[in-house]
Amino acid sequence: MQTTITKADNTTIFALSGRLDSNSAPQFEQQLQDFLREPSTHLVFDFNNLDYISSAGLRIVLNTAKAYKSGGYLFSTCAMQEHVQEVFEISGFDSIITIHRSIDESLSAVKQKK
Amino acid sequence: MKISFRINNDLAELNTLLDQLQVLEQRWTLSRKTLAEICLVLDELITNTIEHSDADKRHPIDISLIKTGSKLTIRIVDAGLPFDPTLCKSPDTNLPLEQRRCGGLGIFLARQFSDHWYYNRLNDKNILTLQKILPKEHR
Repeated sequence: MQTTITKADNTTIFALSGRLDSNSAPQFEQQLQDFLREPSTHLVFDFNNLDYISSAGLRIVLNTAKAYKSGGYLFSTCAMQEHVQEVFEISGFDSIITIHRSIDESLSAVKQKK
Repeated sequence: MKISFRINNDLAELNTLLDQLQVLEQRWTLSRKTLAEICLVLDELITNTIEHSDADKRHPIDISLIKTGSKLTIRIVDAGLPFDPTLCKSPDTNLPLEQRRCGGLGIFLARQFSDHWYYNRLNDKNILTLQKILPKEHR
């Protein structure tokens, strides 16, 4: 899996491409360490190029959402492919994680928050 | 039609699984969606087997996929510690964020994307057999 990190406007965007499974999850979790410890920007996971997610990936999304629950910063995911969205829905994650249709929607949600 | 292969109890072997699934995709002309579902089922079950195995002891995991008509039969055989995934409790997917846990989610997902499960412990091996009814276009 490849991760591209972009920072703009007090928001950090992690654009993921490829497969988020038990093989790639540890590296992604490592990249997120600072965000999980103490959120200091808004955070968006852009799943536009993510082809696949397993429970190892869901665990990271859940932990990230928990880390962002109490602070003043927003966490959202966006642009899921059909199969990824289905995995989120079956796991009941669509009711506990913010899912936007596009990166633009995620970014405008951040703007409204300001 | 049958495909079988062997991997070791090492997470890096998930790449072998992907290679084998690519062979499957070409040979059986599966849709992207069906392939992703089969991949998720195998990924979750094999990851679980590997994570519950004794990392210091290398042992093989044998995987076979047999397609007869609309039925796909998957069999996973490993010589690790006894573990019956059919007895795993499903997580409560309706809990609020604070109370959600990830334990059991992998097995739960594998169950959701397949249809029948049978577990057997024989000759010190876990034998898990599952069936998946394929959508019409693959019959």
